[in-house]
Amino acid sequence: MKKSIILFIALLGLASVAYAADSQIWGEMRIQNILGYGQEESWKLGPLFTMLQHKYFAWIFLGVLIGVPAAFFIHYKIIGPKVFPHSEKKYYAFSLYNRIIHQVAAVSFLVIIPTGFIIVFGDFFGGGTFVRMAKNLHGIFTIPFTIVVIPMALMWLKEALFNMDDVKWFMILGGYLSKEKKPILAGKFNAGQKMWYWVAILGGITMILSGAMMYFLDFKMEMLHNLAGMSQIDLLRAAAILHNVMGFIVLALFITHVYMSMFAIKGAVHSIITGYIEEEELKILHSTWYKKLKDQGKF
Amino acid sequence: MDYARMKFYCDESRCIECDGCSVACAEAHELPVGISRRKVVTINEGIPGKEMSTSIACMHCTDAPCEQVCPVDCFYIREDGIVLHDKEKCIGCGYCLYACPFGAPQFPRDGAFGAKGAMDKCTMCAGGPLETNSEKERHLYGQNRIAEGKVPVCAAMCSTKALLVGDAESVSNVYRARVMARGGKGSNSPYGWDKAYKNQ
Repeated sequence: MKKSIILFIALLGLASVAYAADSQIWGEMRIQNILGYGQEESWKLGPLFTMLQHKYFAWIFLGVLIGVPAAFFIHYKIIGPKVFPHSEKKYYAFSLYNRIIHQVAAVSFLVIIPTGFIIVFGDFFGGGTFVRMAKNLHGIFTIPFTIVVIPMALMWLKEALFNMDDVKWFMILGGYLSKEKKPILAGKFNAGQKMWYWVAILGGITMILSGAMMYFLDFKMEMLHNLAGMSQIDLLRAAAILHNVMGFIVLALFITHVYMSMFAIKGAVHSIITGYIEEEELKILHSTWYKKLKDQGKF
Repeated sequence: MDYARMKFYCDESRCIECDGCSVACAEAHELPVGISRRKVVTINEGIPGKEMSTSIACMHCTDAPCEQVCPVDCFYIREDGIVLHDKEKCIGCGYCLYACPFGAPQFPRDGAFGAKGAMDKCTMCAGGPLETNSEKERHLYGQNRIAEGKVPVCAAMCSTKALLVGDAESVSNVYRARVMARGGKGSNSPYGWDKAYKNQ
C-alpha cells in the first residue's frame, strides 16, 4: 500500500511539473543538450537511439510478433495441447478481487499492445489520424494498468517468489515438451508464470515510467536528473531505448501467457474468468500446491 | 539540373544576441506561443573570452537523423538538402527530437489531455508538401519564401549578418574570407557543421 502511494505521488509530481515554465529542452538547456551530443564523456545516446530505431527496433518487434507464435504453432502441431476433463471437481483459486484486477490489466494490455504495433509500423499504416489515434489510446489505456499494477503485484507476490521447484521446472521446461501427464513440481504459480509475473510487474512499471517521460517530454525533476546524471534530452533518449527493449520482452511473454492459457492447456483460461481450477489440471501442473491443498483437506 | 546544397551558418563572432532572427521567424510564420523554430543561446555567459552567442534551428542535416527514426516516415529531403516533413502524417511521438543533434523539433500541446501535437520545425522558409503558397501550406508550415526566390527570413533580418543561409559553396566562401580577415583564428569548420553536414 505504501508503495502504491509513493508511486501515485511520483506520477502526480511528474504530471504537475510537465508544464514547467522554463523548458528543459528548448530553453537555456538546449545548448547543454546539444553539447552533450556525440562529445567525449557524453552518453552518446542520440546516435545510439538513431541507429537502433533506424535499423533494428521495428525488425525485432516483427521478429517477436512472428517468431514466438510460429514456435508455439509448431509446438501445438507436434506436441499438442494438454487436455483435462473439466467435468471433475474444481477448486476455487481466484477471488473476485483477483479476477477484477487481472481483467483490468488484461483489457489494458489488449489495447496497449496492438496500438504499440501500429505505432512501430506507423509507416505501413500511412501515419496520420489512424496512427495518431493509436498513439493516444496507447497512452490512455496505460491509466487503468497503472491503477492495478501495484495491487496485482501485492496480491500475488508471495506465490511469485522463486523456490527450488522452479529449478526443476525449468530443467524440463514445465513438461511442455512431452505429451505425458506426469505431475510437475510447482506451487500456485509455476516458474513460467512467475517469470511472467516479474516481467509484467517490473517491466510494466518500467514501461509506465519511460512512457510517461516521453509523453510529458518537457518536465523538470531535479531529483531524477541528479540521480541519473543526465540532461533532459539524454533522459528521454534512454527512456525511448528502454521502452522499446522492454517492449520486446513484455510482448514475447505476453504472447506466451496467452498461448498457455488459451491453447496449450485447454480451458485454462476459465480459471481466471470463473475463479475455479480443474482438479486434474492442478494435480498435474501444480503438484506441490495440490499436495498442500490435499493436506489441508481441500480435496 | 544540379541542385546546390543549402546550409545554415551562424558566425559566433558576429552574433550579438539581439534575437532578431527568432522574432522575425516567429512573426513571419505566425508561430504560436511556445514554439520557437529558431533560438538564440549564449554559452559561457560572463566568462571573458569564452562567452559566445549563436542562433540555432534545424540545420537540415545530411542523412538527417530525424528522417531515419520517424516511425511514420513523414520526413522528406529535397534535392537542395532542405529537410521537410508532412504534418498531416506526423503523430507527435517525439522520436525526431531524441535523434536531433540540435534540439530542433518542437511540439505544441493540444487537446484536453495535453497530448503532443504534430511536430513543428524550421523549414528553411520552404513550406511543406502541400501546394506551394496555398493557404493551407501557409497555415501549417508558414511562408514559402524559397519558392518566391527570397532568402529565409531569419538570415534576411540578421543585422550583423552573422546568420547566413545559402548554397554550401557561397556560405563556405564567406566563412573562409571572414576567418582570413580575422587573421586565420578560430575553428577550421563552422560550429555544428561536423554534426550537421559531416564536413562535406
